[in-house]
Amino acid sequence: MLEGDQYWAHSKSEPIWLLLVQLRSPLIALIVTYSISILGLVLIPGETDLGSPYYLSFLDAFYAVSYTAMTVGFGEIPYPFNQSQRLWMLLVMYSTVIAWLYAIGSILSVFSDPAFHRIRSQNRSISQVRSHNEPFWILCGFDDTGFQLIQFLDQAKIRCVVVDEDPERIDCARLINLSYEPAVFLSDPSEPQILVDSGVSRPHCCGVLALTGRDQINLMIATNARVLSPRLSVYSRSNTDFSTRNLRSFGTEVVIDPNRAIVHRLVQMIRRPNTYALHNELIDPDFNQLSVHQLSDLGHWIICASGRFSELVVEAFVREGIPLCLVSREPPEDPSVCDWVEGVGTEAITLREAGILNATGVIAGTTDDGDNLSILLTALEEKPALFSVARRNRSSSELVFRHGQFNEILREDRVIAQEMFARIQTPLLNQFLGHLEAMPDSLVFDIIGKMSHRRSVEQSELDHFALVLTAAQAPGVVELLQKEATIKLGDLLIDPLREQPLLPAICLLIARLNADVIPIPGDELDLVLGDQLLLWGEAEALNRIKFFIGRPDLFEANIKESDPLL
Amino acid sequence: MNTQRVWFAFFIVLALTLNFGFFIGEIDNPLHHNSYELFLTLVVSLIATVLKVGDRSHMGAVLLATSLVADLQLIMAATIWGYSSEVTGHVSPAVMASIVSLAGGAMLANLTSVVLLLSETIQLKR
Repeated sequence: MLEGDQYWAHSKSEPIWLLLVQLRSPLIALIVTYSISILGLVLIPGETDLGSPYYLSFLDAFYAVSYTAMTVGFGEIPYPFNQSQRLWMLLVMYSTVIAWLYAIGSILSVFSDPAFHRIRSQNRSISQVRSHNEPFWILCGFDDTGFQLIQFLDQAKIRCVVVDEDPERIDCARLINLSYEPAVFLSDPSEPQILVDSGVSRPHCCGVLALTGRDQINLMIATNARVLSPRLSVYSRSNTDFSTRNLRSFGTEVVIDPNRAIVHRLVQMIRRPNTYALHNELIDPDFNQLSVHQLSDLGHWIICASGRFSELVVEAFVREGIPLCLVSREPPEDPSVCDWVEGVGTEAITLREAGILNATGVIAGTTDDGDNLSILLTALEEKPALFSVARRNRSSSELVFRHGQFNEILREDRVIAQEMFARIQTPLLNQFLGHLEAMPDSLVFDIIGKMSHRRSVEQSELDHFALVLTAAQAPGVVELLQKEATIKLGDLLIDPLREQPLLPAICLLIARLNADVIPIPGDELDLVLGDQLLLWGEAEALNRIKFFIGRPDLFEANIKESDPLL
Repeated sequence: MNTQRVWFAFFIVLALTLNFGFFIGEIDNPLHHNSYELFLTLVVSLIATVLKVGDRSHMGAVLLATSLVADLQLIMAATIWGYSSEVTGHVSPAVMASIVSLAGGAMLANLTSVVLLLSETIQLKR
């Protein structure tokens, strides 16, 4: 078996050599015509202008043949040719020019060969991957989800290598505006070789993201990655419970089922609106606002959906005790659990039959964007106060949905990208989201209340960042702690400009070296060296904190000034 | 029988024999060394090189290298000859000696190619 690097060299050199083979015959044709032409010129006797016999030297002959072959035609030098030389030159002209045309034609045909281009870009990508000296992920399948995720990861300065079998998507990956140029591979991602080429066994590779729309392919990517490089994290998308179980059975770290994730969010939105708002803000790097939906409990929900999504929604809503009426072409599996109206929901009569006038909201969750838009527009016509939830399937319809003034838009690709990004970006956030699941909504309401109390401008952007109290990341805090001073969590939030009593930021989670995990710590908590903090707040406030913890002198002065007893 | 092998063996052995014919004689005597022979040696050696371009085997790579060495030496010899006879107008014994010694070096490279080819052939027989 070939060792890693040998293997690379082998697969890299192969195509170029194969193409060189094609250049053999034109090169030989050139050499043969040139040599015969030169030899002829050297052997044929000429005459000087005085009439004495003269033989061309090899240098003269090579010169004459070269300019004739290149169609430059400098003339008959050093002396005018005689008839026998001219006869030979005729032969030389035609044969060498034809030989050149043949050679140039072969070279051009090699260069314009699509296979050659593919191999060349593949090789370029391979060497790009080999030269990666920072962590990267392999993103297999570049549809809307991959497109979204690569942008999220770029914001967090995490690189990706893209693999897809569709040339259009690969072009899209090449053209996408990122802070770096991603290495792209046009190939079937389920082939093990392509994983090796894209760097699955490189030391900087963090993991593999299987994001194709087909379960069987995702499964193959996950198994290949697991076998080729067992230390890697494998994240996969899955469309069925069967595939999810299968992926989990061999230790795939994260499996995201978009339908289940969307249903989970719907239930969270209805039952725990504050948690939903906080979750939404934290998980999406592009959505930086808190928007809590106040929903009345009185009415029922009209759900227009089909297939597996409708089954999952009905199951979850019935479990949570949320009243619903399903509008679909086929009846639910167990018709006794909920009301059912036959139809798509695009017509007013169907919606009226589903009791739209008494409904709290409508969820347009079919797999057709046109139907979804039509459902919501009809429903809002019937009852403008309705809470509207749209499911947007294709990213190309984003523009219409965004202008549709709907209360909530569920985007399958974005949900997958968010869920995966939250798990890739920082383990701390992932840990906190786990705690958030179990928190009562009233506690989350308090956190949001505390935050809005500290904020002066409601509309400013929110952000979060993870911080470890080490000399590298927070020299200010660490130096002071080493002087045996006590620093409370609240001390981090002292505003150096004294504009506000406390900066609008909250520590969501502290994970200590002694394995203590403290969700929502109070401001009086003493900080300890090595603490990992997840800070959440206004972006501007977080920037001030970042700046001050990096400056030992300023940090100490800031604390002392605000607390003279220290 | 592999036609490609025949052609390569033919050209590499021909390059060696032609080179030997050119090389033999008093090293600094222009009368003992034929310019046509050097020309033919160079052409045949170039063809042998091209025949090995694109050969991915280990032996192919080594043969390509040795025949490239031969080409380089022969081109240098031809250039020196051309320069001294055309530009300075006179091929001195010292220049002739350096031309022939360069060709001798090329012959050694050709000899290496032939030895490699033979050793490979003998291994195949086993």
